[in-house]
Amino acid sequence: MHSNKYTLIFTAVLTIILGFFVSTADSSLKDMREKNIEADIRKNILSSLGFKETLESPWTNERVEEIFSESIIGFVVDSAGSVIDGKNPKDINPDKDFKEFPIYKRVSGEEVEGYSIPISGKGLWGTMYGYFSIEPDGATAKGITFYSHIETPGLGAEVDKPWFQNNFPGKKFVDPNGKLIGIQAMKGGVDETSPEAYHQVDGISGATMTTNGLNSFLYEGLKNYDPYLSKIRSSLSL
Amino acid sequence: MALLDKKSKKAFSDPLMSNNPISLQVLGICSALAVTVKMDTAVVMSLAVIFVLAVSNTVIALLRKMIPGKVRIIVQLSVIASMVVFIDLVLKAYFYDMSKQLSVFVGLIITNCIIMGRAEAFAMQNGPWRSLLDGIGNGIGYGGILIGVAFFRELLGSGTFYGIQIIPDSFYAAGYENMGLMVLSPGAFIILGLIVWAQRLIANIEEE
Repeated sequence: MHSNKYTLIFTAVLTIILGFFVSTADSSLKDMREKNIEADIRKNILSSLGFKETLESPWTNERVEEIFSESIIGFVVDSAGSVIDGKNPKDINPDKDFKEFPIYKRVSGEEVEGYSIPISGKGLWGTMYGYFSIEPDGATAKGITFYSHIETPGLGAEVDKPWFQNNFPGKKFVDPNGKLIGIQAMKGGVDETSPEAYHQVDGISGATMTTNGLNSFLYEGLKNYDPYLSKIRSSLSL
Repeated sequence: MALLDKKSKKAFSDPLMSNNPISLQVLGICSALAVTVKMDTAVVMSLAVIFVLAVSNTVIALLRKMIPGKVRIIVQLSVIASMVVFIDLVLKAYFYDMSKQLSVFVGLIITNCIIMGRAEAFAMQNGPWRSLLDGIGNGIGYGGILIGVAFFRELLGSGTFYGIQIIPDSFYAAGYENMGLMVLSPGAFIILGLIVWAQRLIANIEEE
């Protein structure tokens, strides 16, 4: 039988050794991990803006970096809809800059091909994170992706399946008067003959809470960007 | 002691078949259900468990005479947890997509009964070499079942093997459909049950 003193010393020494081991591993792998996380966010922005990964050119971190610097411009808008000069989405301090919103623009030469904004909010079980992309007209959905959620497989988790996401492109999130209306996932599917069908998509059976959450946080998310998007809309209609 | 005397061989080979941790001792079931939808996740999970089992068994066997009896479980857990955190960090740095798919289940290796069980039941009584073999043997025994379950779940649930389509399009055209049940956890229960039954039949094991 070991004495109490021995037990204390043994556990202290073991804890120090193991702690040293784990923290060394953590700090030496930190750079790579952070690069991966950043590349993963960029992959999501790219796929929300209609880029596709192919077998011939898989999305390695370098490839993602390349496409991103070629055709994506990230910038920040404030709640009045003005672009904040010289500020990158990376510079936003989430603890302080509540009224500043990152937005990514897909360009080809001078031409804008779409915008992508981060969306997040509560589903049934936890927070869902994704990107919502917008056509250059500032009023039409271009696509939606989710990169992190913990919804029920087979029910709420269908939000990251193509059949659901393919409902979004072409839908309008502003009404004919230019007022933000959001996009609603409808229980039981969209009645195509309804005059409201232009801002509705088919919901997911058995996932009412998830789709209700999505409807409301998509609307809330778009509200932050509406001043900026309405400027785009009015500049186009002039 | 020869490197591969009879007892050492037994430590390695028993868990592969006649004393398999999953199908005979029915340990480590929850991860076997969770990560077996696709082959690639099952293979990576198996490798992670083999690594953790081998290292933690060896370390604990080396320390076995020094570990105070009163706190031995906590000591075992600290060693295991450190290895699990390490493998999780490695996956995040080198196989990020994979670590996203495995999500919490890498962290949950800490609570995998197989690893605690081997540390307490084997490594505390045996030398490091034999414990290493026991760890690798149990890891492979675990991984073999995982990969077996994943093979059937991916084939029947998605029609693929390692992401490559196996079921020809003509089958789908003729009305064949993937079995949605296999993608969900109950599918894993059914496959696992059948494997346990088959293995007990082959190994000729009867419950007393």
